Parts: sequence; structure tokens; C-alpha cells
Amino acid sequence: MKHLKPINKKAQKIEETITSVEEDVVALQQQPRPHVPMGCTLSFSPGWEVDAGGGTAGLCQPVERDIYDCYVTCFWPVQVPDHVNYSPDWASNCAAATKDWRNLDLVFP
Amino acid sequence: MKQLRSLLRLKALVAPALVTALAAAAPAHAGTMMIGTYPDKLFTIDDTNGAITERIQLQAGLPTSLRLSNDKSKIYVTTITTSGIVVLDSATRRILNQFSLNTPTTKYRFMGGVPDPTGRWYYTQLIRFDKEPDRYKVSKPLYAVIDLQQKKVARTVEIDPQDDTLGGFRPTFALSPDGKTLYKFGDKVLVIDTATLKVSDRLDLAKPETTGMENVAFGGGVEALQNPNEFVSLFNASDPYVHAKMFGIGRFNLTNRTFDFTPIGPVPTGMAGLEVTPDGKDGYTVVTNGTLGNKRCEFWHFDMATNKVMEKAEFHCRSRFSFGISADGQKLYIHGASYDIEVYDAKTLKYERTWDLGADATMAGLLHLK
Repeated sequence: MKHLKPINKKAQKIEETITSVEEDVVALQQQPRPHVPMGCTLSFSPGWEVDAGGGTAGLCQPVERDIYDCYVTCFWPVQVPDHVNYSPDWASNCAAATKDWRNLDLVFP
Repeated sequence: MKQLRSLLRLKALVAPALVTALAAAAPAHAGTMMIGTYPDKLFTIDDTNGAITERIQLQAGLPTSLRLSNDKSKIYVTTITTSGIVVLDSATRRILNQFSLNTPTTKYRFMGGVPDPTGRWYYTQLIRFDKEPDRYKVSKPLYAVIDLQQKKVARTVEIDPQDDTLGGFRPTFALSPDGKTLYKFGDKVLVIDTATLKVSDRLDLAKPETTGMENVAFGGGVEALQNPNEFVSLFNASDPYVHAKMFGIGRFNLTNRTFDFTPIGPVPTGMAGLEVTPDGKDGYTVVTNGTLGNKRCEFWHFDMATNKVMEKAEFHCRSRFSFGISADGQKLYIHGASYDIEVYDAKTLKYERTWDLGADATMAGLLHLK
């Protein structure tokens, strides 16, 4: 379409439609990446049970080793609270999650 | 790529100079290191035996980045719990300034940044969340200048989408000695005018790609050896003919925006940053090949005078980790995503012991203090 310019109303509407679609629908992996708000609600990574390859070998052993960095980076938002919006103090009573995970705060929806 | 071709011709000239510069700038003996821990503390650790010597509590919450000022006199810490900044005296570890940017209706999210030479301003990139009566409004990624005296965000400018390639992860920043130019190191080197926060140039030289591990931490390794006028690190680049990716040592001049690149070898699947011994003769990194259950990790030992790989040794690596070196260059550290630090001998590349910190380390990295 770069070589064509709309010269009547119908052609202009076609171009507007194409442009609006291009702006609205973007793939998450395309470059440049689209802007995704950084609440802990728009992450599509799998949960604790599987790693990115569908297995478990890529998970930390035990998984509690990795729980805090997932919390801070919103990496597993289903299993780990949202530190941005409602649980900034979730880890305040537990320094080492692997050892004393029972001290982690409970979060109720 | 014309720049890269000229850089390759400089290879023979750069290596001896690099060794000399690194030797001059590096710490001379073992000492104290600092690490951020959950939920809200900084630990100082005797790096000869792993003993925790101080536990510094931060009112601003969980530390997510550590950075020494160029003159090594101050430590700048950012926190995520309250979006805070804490400034400490590096010699006494006394807190000089600390504040939170969050208010009941506005929150910020940022990890790391760079202070200007005067200590008045702090440059970073962030996202702002505004709680409105009926919804949260989330900003696009912003370059920001934080006023450390007024304790607030002074200026912001929206980041061009083509430059927002790091997502929510921390970028590496450096500032020119005169404070007029900010550099952001990622897929490209971005040259940013601090007066306008606009990108004035983009250079084709990328930081190494990593898989499942952090890059070398702020304040650790060769990046800590920078003089105020130079940023030294591992970079990736491709040759202008067949575009084969290679990694090497890049020295970026922060004043005149030129860089020297010494290629070392082809790019593996993943690579940590370069750590260099105090005498500048030996360099170390961690190379990973394969992913998930097939991931294999190796220490690589470089002779820095010849830029050759001297030894490799496989070790049992965690799914995620950070790589560090002791101040005297005798030990290699694997830490992060856990409450412990695994210690390896730098000469033999063999495992020695594990230090239990009793608290999970954050991704803030590891600083060497005097």
C-alpha cells in the first residue's frame, strides 16, 4: 500500500480500516514489542508445574528457590501475588522462602 | 558496520592497553562485598570466609539494584517495595539519603539507574501507575530523571517503541563524565541527551544474549573496573560479510562515543558477563549451551593478554543464577535465586564450598567494597 494513495472517500476508509487493524492487533513477540502494562495480570507464562518446554527440568530445585524473583518480576502471576498493586509486603516475614515458606503472607482474592 | 571494521583493525592495539587499564583500576585484595537480600536488607559479607558482617535494614523495602558511584564513595540502591532510592556511604555504610517515590495514588516501577556526577540527579527508566477513581492508568515506559534532593521524579519522556526492547527488565546505564549524555546498553547502544531525554544516536553493538541467567551484575567484574570515562564489558557483534555473531570485549568511550571491540569467538547460546582478576591477566565467564533440562554450564577462563580461551570446566548450574568473582580474583561465585553462594576456585575451576546467607539474595547483584 505504500505506493498507492487514496484519492476518494471510499479508498480513504479502506486505508483507515487497515491502519486501525494494524495498530490494534499486534503479536507479543513482534519487534518492536507492543507496550504491555506491567501489572501482574498480563503474563502468559506457565505455572509452577511446568517450565517453558512443558517439562520440569528447567524449574529451580526446589521451586521455592525461585519464588521471590518470580514475585518481583510478575513472572508467575497466578501462583505468586501481585507486588505492584496489592501485595508489596508479601515477603516481609520470610527471608528464605525455601526454609520458612510457611511465614509467607496469605493472600485472599 | 563500518565502525566495526575499523574496530577489528584495532584489535592488536587494544589488548595490551586493556590489560594495563584493568590492572590499574581493580581492587587489590580480598575484602567486603555487599548483596541485597529479602525482605528488606543489605548484607555485607567477608569474602574470605562468607561471614555476614552487617545487616543493613532499608525502610524503603526490598533492594533490587546496587551501584557504586564513579568515585566509589557512595552506594546507590533502588528498592521495589516502595519504589525507593537509598544512598549510603560506601566506607561507613551509613545511610545518607532515602526516600520513596510512591504515594497512595501513584506508584512507580523501576530497577536500577545511574547517578549523575554531582549526586543530585538519578537517571533511570520506569513505568508509572496512577490509581484513578474507576481504574488504574499505566504509563508507557519512560526515561526519567529523579531529583535526589527534592525526592521526586523531576522529568520524564516516553521511550520510543523501537528502543523498548528490554521489556520490564533492568537496563544497563552509563553516564558521560560531564553528565550531558546518558548511554543505555541493550540490543544497541543508545545515546541519550540528558537535557531532553531524547535518543540522538543508536550504535550496533549488543550486550551478550543470556538464557535463564542474569547478565553480570552492576558493580561486579569488568564493569566495575570502568574509569569515569569508559564503559568496559562483553559485547556481541556480527561481521559485515557473513554476519556471523561473535562476542568480544568492548571498551566504550563515554566522552567521544567511540568504541574499541576485540573479538574473542563465536557467540554461544548464553553467556554471563566477563569477570576479570585484579591484575587484569585472567578473565572468566560462564557459557551455557542448550536449554531447560539440556542446559549445560561451563566456566571459561581467558588469558586477557592474548584473548584466548585457556580452560573450560563444566559445573552443575542452577536454572537461574548470577556470576561473580572475589575481590582478589581467587574465587568464582554462583549466586542468586537462592539463599546461598557457591564458591569455586578460580585456578582449578573446582567447587569448594557453599556459604549459607540465611536469606534469599535479590537480583540486585554483588558489589565489592573496600
